[in-house]
Amino acid sequence: MKKTNYLEKSFKELNELLKNKVITPTDLVEEAFARIEESDLNAFITLDKENALKEAKELENMEVDNVLFGLPIAIKDNITTKDLRTTCASHMLENFMPIYDATAVEKLKAKHMIIIGKTNMDEFAMGSTGETSYFGNILNPWNKKLVPGGSSSGSAASVSARIVTSALGSDTGGSIRQPASFCGIVGLKPTYGRVSRHGLIAFGSSLDQIGPMTKTVEDNAILLNAISGVDENDYTSKDVTDDFTTYLGKDIKDLKIAVPTYFMSEQVNETVREKVLEVIHHLMKQGCVVEEVNIPYLEYAIPLYQIIGLGEASSNLARYDGVKYGYKAPNYDSLEDMYEKTRSAGFGEEVKRRIMIGTFMLSGENANQYYHKALKVREMLTDGFRKTFEKYDLIIGPTNTNVAYPLGQKGDDALKSFYDDILTIPVNMAGLPAMSLPIGFTEEHLPIGLHIIASYFNEGKIYTLASYLEKYLNLSLDPNKKEEETC
Amino acid sequence: MLVPTIGIEVHVELKSKAKVYSTAKNEFSYEPNTNVTLIDLGYPGTLPKLNREVVNMALKAALALNCEISKDMHFDRKNYFYPDLPKGYQITQSMTPIGHDGYLEIEVNGKKKQIGIERIHIEEDTCKSIHGETGTLLNFNRAGVPLVEIVSKPVIETPEEAVLYLEKLRETLLYLGISDVKIEEGSMRCDANISLHEENTDTFGTKCEIKNIGSIHNVGVSLHYEENRQREILENGGQILHEETRRFDDKTGKTILMRTKETGNDYRYFPEPDLPMIHLTLEEIENTKKQLPIMPDVLRENYRKLGLNENQIKTIIAARDLCEFYEQERKLCDANVLANYLTGDILSFLNREKININELKMDVKELEEFVNRMAKKEFSSKQGKELLNELLENGGKVEEVIKKLGLAQISDTSVLEEMIIKIVNNHPDSVKDYKEGKDRAIKFLMGQVMKETKGQANPSLAMEILKAELSK
Repeated sequence: MKKTNYLEKSFKELNELLKNKVITPTDLVEEAFARIEESDLNAFITLDKENALKEAKELENMEVDNVLFGLPIAIKDNITTKDLRTTCASHMLENFMPIYDATAVEKLKAKHMIIIGKTNMDEFAMGSTGETSYFGNILNPWNKKLVPGGSSSGSAASVSARIVTSALGSDTGGSIRQPASFCGIVGLKPTYGRVSRHGLIAFGSSLDQIGPMTKTVEDNAILLNAISGVDENDYTSKDVTDDFTTYLGKDIKDLKIAVPTYFMSEQVNETVREKVLEVIHHLMKQGCVVEEVNIPYLEYAIPLYQIIGLGEASSNLARYDGVKYGYKAPNYDSLEDMYEKTRSAGFGEEVKRRIMIGTFMLSGENANQYYHKALKVREMLTDGFRKTFEKYDLIIGPTNTNVAYPLGQKGDDALKSFYDDILTIPVNMAGLPAMSLPIGFTEEHLPIGLHIIASYFNEGKIYTLASYLEKYLNLSLDPNKKEEETC
Repeated sequence: MLVPTIGIEVHVELKSKAKVYSTAKNEFSYEPNTNVTLIDLGYPGTLPKLNREVVNMALKAALALNCEISKDMHFDRKNYFYPDLPKGYQITQSMTPIGHDGYLEIEVNGKKKQIGIERIHIEEDTCKSIHGETGTLLNFNRAGVPLVEIVSKPVIETPEEAVLYLEKLRETLLYLGISDVKIEEGSMRCDANISLHEENTDTFGTKCEIKNIGSIHNVGVSLHYEENRQREILENGGQILHEETRRFDDKTGKTILMRTKETGNDYRYFPEPDLPMIHLTLEEIENTKKQLPIMPDVLRENYRKLGLNENQIKTIIAARDLCEFYEQERKLCDANVLANYLTGDILSFLNREKININELKMDVKELEEFVNRMAKKEFSSKQGKELLNELLENGGKVEEVIKKLGLAQISDTSVLEEMIIKIVNNHPDSVKDYKEGKDRAIKFLMGQVMKETKGQANPSLAMEILKAELSK
């Protein structure tokens, strides 16, 4: 088969080619599967080749009616897809075949996007390395000895490696933004309520959001357009509509930008800090106001996450009890025994650890001591953001304290896995929208992400700044071409 | 002296069209597992919805029970493992019950007493477990059926008061039209707890709870038994060491230990993140208040004023459809005569035929006409009975039935006068008795008139003429 490189292109470029019948959706699907066969990233849990090809064939006789028409996409494996296995990367749901599509998936299908498969991830989205997956760890396309980040590991890796045009991820404490920054792609966690959670298998219900993971800022805006909107199946979704593409390329010189002191503290890797500072200096030169601010309670992100996020998780995962769907222990003496054996064998270590922490936080007096106190701190943290956004349009900083690190490094330390998310969790606590945008590389040529946070339903401002920086920086973000460049 | 303290918890199924957190029909009676949506299954990825009809019904109950309303309320998750619980948690209201600190007024030996209501909140029912020989089956039709839980304060002092409270509560909920409140069908479930303590002390004794009692009557019986059981232990120097959960065996009339309560169940309550905060506006609360139907207490007062006797009042109020019918019809015809027939011949007929008042063959217009003509005493009560029976059995028009049964009246004054003069003349002894003040005499003479006319004389007209004739 002739090797093609169409999947390096943006949505709009591909759309032109499809409209002009230079290529067909089948070409794109075939290229995607050819790239998967070549790759050893372990980015997918389930592939849907037969259906994808069938759909592509059917689309050939249809009018190319929108920019997403016929484009291959990958879906994180905690988002339900009708008749396509959805495992949450867990032994517990290894054979779970949903009978309905998540609202976001339904919307993509309505646009005639073609689902290539379900991406590998940390089990039940619990982890930041991809290593907690029951289906084995995922590799970083920039360096296969390193983690891709997590929990949307396969989504980030497959977009970065140009296996698909784009992917859906989910973000509870940084699970879209952190792997996006480690893999050098654009990942957005929308405002809580922007995208329906119907069909997103719950982890922390008050924190979870589905979001777009793409190669470019423009693709990201287009994909968010497609999946957002109020949904009668999610009472926490909001009736706010917008066209995010209209914010691309807008003037940035009037933007007022805040940089929280905490985001630029010593805990952040020096190279990462320097890259962010370079961006800050450039923006100031362009006429933006960029000021350092202090947002109180940012430093409580991890305890908040452990109490609220894991408290909710302990409840959300209670339904996997061997009675209805999913794994059930084959031999048991009593109901109690069945529960114990099913959940002991069905869940991995990280998930069990988190269920236990969450259960502890909600038990008896702990509920008052931890949970209800955490809700108050969450409110105060949210209030700090609100006050900042009274004066500023955006908040920026590094997405993570570090760049991608070696596989296996975090395995032994249960606490370390949370520390990757200390800059991203506060955004989920407050329900704000935020993006990770690639702004450069370390000396080892590992991508660095800029965190851009906006106030509620102001994703538009994020896209304005991101589209400007993307154009200005003009980075080469295809890991497949890394060697050619460094040579 | 040891005195009991009793608290009552009641779960009531609301009869909304759909379930509380999904759009499945609220119909348990269908084929098992046919009234089920993905939400009721706790299917991964699904989120609860909120049925506002349920909120409104619960609001009605809270208002009727004189509760304070939680204007800003949310739902909470109650976490525990059990096979009949699809999600591994129940969505209920822990911190912000829709109503709290209300009361219900009962009448104890003619004295009014308010029984405090601690709280009323909305929650969902679980699956129904069917235990068979080969294992346990689950029917998800019941999962998500809306319930309200109503918890009394521990202020009930006797088993009799407990029964009165439950009867009043049942009546109130029935009149609100929000539940069938049938204990035998499970749409009302009662748990009662009781402890004994020395009179005039503040500290309560250790309580025992009796679960899921099958009738209001048995709540009284089981509480009596439990009171005596605890009294015997305590008066013989014993102690009630642990809180116990017991069940009532209606065959032996005894309560039986099910389990000793461990130190409080840990349900790990926390606010349900999938349902946003609900704000009940003052307007919504006021409108609901206005829409509350007339409650039995008010009806009772009204009926007393109308002159109905206590038996009639009780009979009419006990059956809501009968009462609704009466409320509507009493303004269109003679209220007393109507009450008489409604609680007498008509009710017997309904019971015999096993139908309700709205299934009668008799047209309501004809009933009104019948009642009004009886009020005018156009017919004797014997004729009335005959006429009503025919109308109930076969329907038809009053006028036609009168003709058919030969009940046409003689209302022609000249005809009656002639006949009455003859009777008076033929019974001089009775005339003498009458003039000496013996009331019996006039009844005898009227009887003669009726005999002569085969009961067809217009009774009031005949009486008028007879009196005139006698006073000559």
